[in-house]
Amino acid sequence: MNELSMPAATARPRATRRARLKDGLFDLGIRAAAWTLLAALFALLLDLAVQGFGHLSWDFLVSEPRASGRAGGIAPILVSTLALVLIALAVALPLGLATAVWLVEFTRLGGPAARGLRLSLDVLAGVPSIVFGLAGHALFGPWLGYSLLAGGLTLACMILPLLIRSAEAGLHAVDPDWRRGAAALGLRRSTALRHVLLPAAAPALLAGVMLGLGRATAETAALLFTSGYADRMPASLLDSGRSLAVHIYELSMNVSGGDRAAQASALVLVALILVLNLAALRASDRWVRRRMGPA
Amino acid sequence: MLSRRPLLAVGLLAPLLAARPTGLRAQADKRLLLSGSSTVAPLVLEIAKRFESLNPGVRIEVQTGGSSRGLADARQGRVAFGMVSRALKPEEADLQAYTLARDGIGLIVHRSNPVVALSAAQVQAIYTGQVRDWAAVGGPARPISVVHKAEGRSTQELFLQHFGLPGSAVKPQVVIGDNAQGIKTVAGNPGAIGYVSIGSAEFEAGLGTPIRLLPMDGVPATVAEVQRGRFPISRPLNLVSAQAPTGLAARFLAYARSPAVHDLVREQFFVPV
Repeated sequence: MNELSMPAATARPRATRRARLKDGLFDLGIRAAAWTLLAALFALLLDLAVQGFGHLSWDFLVSEPRASGRAGGIAPILVSTLALVLIALAVALPLGLATAVWLVEFTRLGGPAARGLRLSLDVLAGVPSIVFGLAGHALFGPWLGYSLLAGGLTLACMILPLLIRSAEAGLHAVDPDWRRGAAALGLRRSTALRHVLLPAAAPALLAGVMLGLGRATAETAALLFTSGYADRMPASLLDSGRSLAVHIYELSMNVSGGDRAAQASALVLVALILVLNLAALRASDRWVRRRMGPA
Repeated sequence: MLSRRPLLAVGLLAPLLAARPTGLRAQADKRLLLSGSSTVAPLVLEIAKRFESLNPGVRIEVQTGGSSRGLADARQGRVAFGMVSRALKPEEADLQAYTLARDGIGLIVHRSNPVVALSAAQVQAIYTGQVRDWAAVGGPARPISVVHKAEGRSTQELFLQHFGLPGSAVKPQVVIGDNAQGIKTVAGNPGAIGYVSIGSAEFEAGLGTPIRLLPMDGVPATVAEVQRGRFPISRPLNLVSAQAPTGLAARFLAYARSPAVHDLVREQFFVPV
């Protein structure tokens, strides 16, 4: 490399200087793009914090909403949100993992069944959430009514394509030698999956879970029709419950004088997503360590 | 070791599910379901909470989704009452309407706009796109942004009906949904004109939001004038049902229309009846 570029540099110093300048500009442009992104994120968080922090207090987190949410807190809404997300993950994670494993390990790459399933997953991932809401309402409404369970199942349908596609990508990225090695050792396929393949694909699985968590906690349209509007503390999974995103939408768009509470709720929502992501990160770390030993 | 986690999860979920295994339809005398207008829903939700606290064991479930949804659900008997934020039309005579409160609808402009009143003809010209600049109606030279409500909103139907405009004639620049959204849109655009619930607009203007209500046919757009029945555009906020309510439904209806909830009605910026 060095022998090749050195003679050129001495022969054409002007061209090199231009190339250096171009490199420098390119470098600057890329850095600027990255910093702009960070600045946008922090501007957003700062604005949210400035607007909402005054309304935020321990009381806000642990009391029931009053006067349509203008006063009081968001305790039942937090509980409903957590229940919805947990139901969605509890249903979608095993189903998604199993499907991804089937796609990668048990079918021929590019076979008609796998191709068909991949195509329908991509279509499903692009379906607007309001359509999931209507489908969930029609599918789960008749036997579950407006309930956390109906909402959680609808969310599970929504995040399934995300989970499957990222788990699939993760499994694909595992070195085929590892599979051969496991087979050579006489490991059963399930054992190889549990101890080698899935832990190796864990970072991709985690990315899918985080995306799914983000989409699930941000959802409003699909939940209005399934888990509903009630802002009281849910007593069971068959009770209607309002999610944080629905509460924020209601307060800022439908309830005059609800802006402060909406900003504070938005701040809580951002914090909640952060906490859930960190929890997912820790859980996956512990899981990988238990399966593979410290790296 | 491996199967402990899933078992734990099932163990945690089971009692929650078992709490009411027969679902929502059990104990009909203890539960009521209402659905419909997003304008009426917050009010009914607050009334329901107070009713529940006075009648231990009773659950009133309120779901939103729009007046059309309330009408459809009430007709098919899926709910005890539908919530509808307008008077019933002649073709809806199969339903009975019970008015909880009234709501006036007023035109709003940005506070910096010097125009103090518009005639019905001027409003018609603005909303049909014949007049496109405030200079033509006595304001500064500034393009008019027409803010209209979405199809199916009862405020929109009422507005069109009052000004005798067919829906297809309106040329809006912005189409909005709920009242608070309309107020935010006009507050953020000095050239905008829109129409929203008077109570909400009065409250927001009082908080310092830069909007101003225009009088209609010479009557100031205030909650007080709506209450006196003098303001020309107002609508009833109704509960509707297909059959005459009995039992718990009848008791809830009577409570929701009693003076005991007038403070809640005012809290939502509506006018008690």
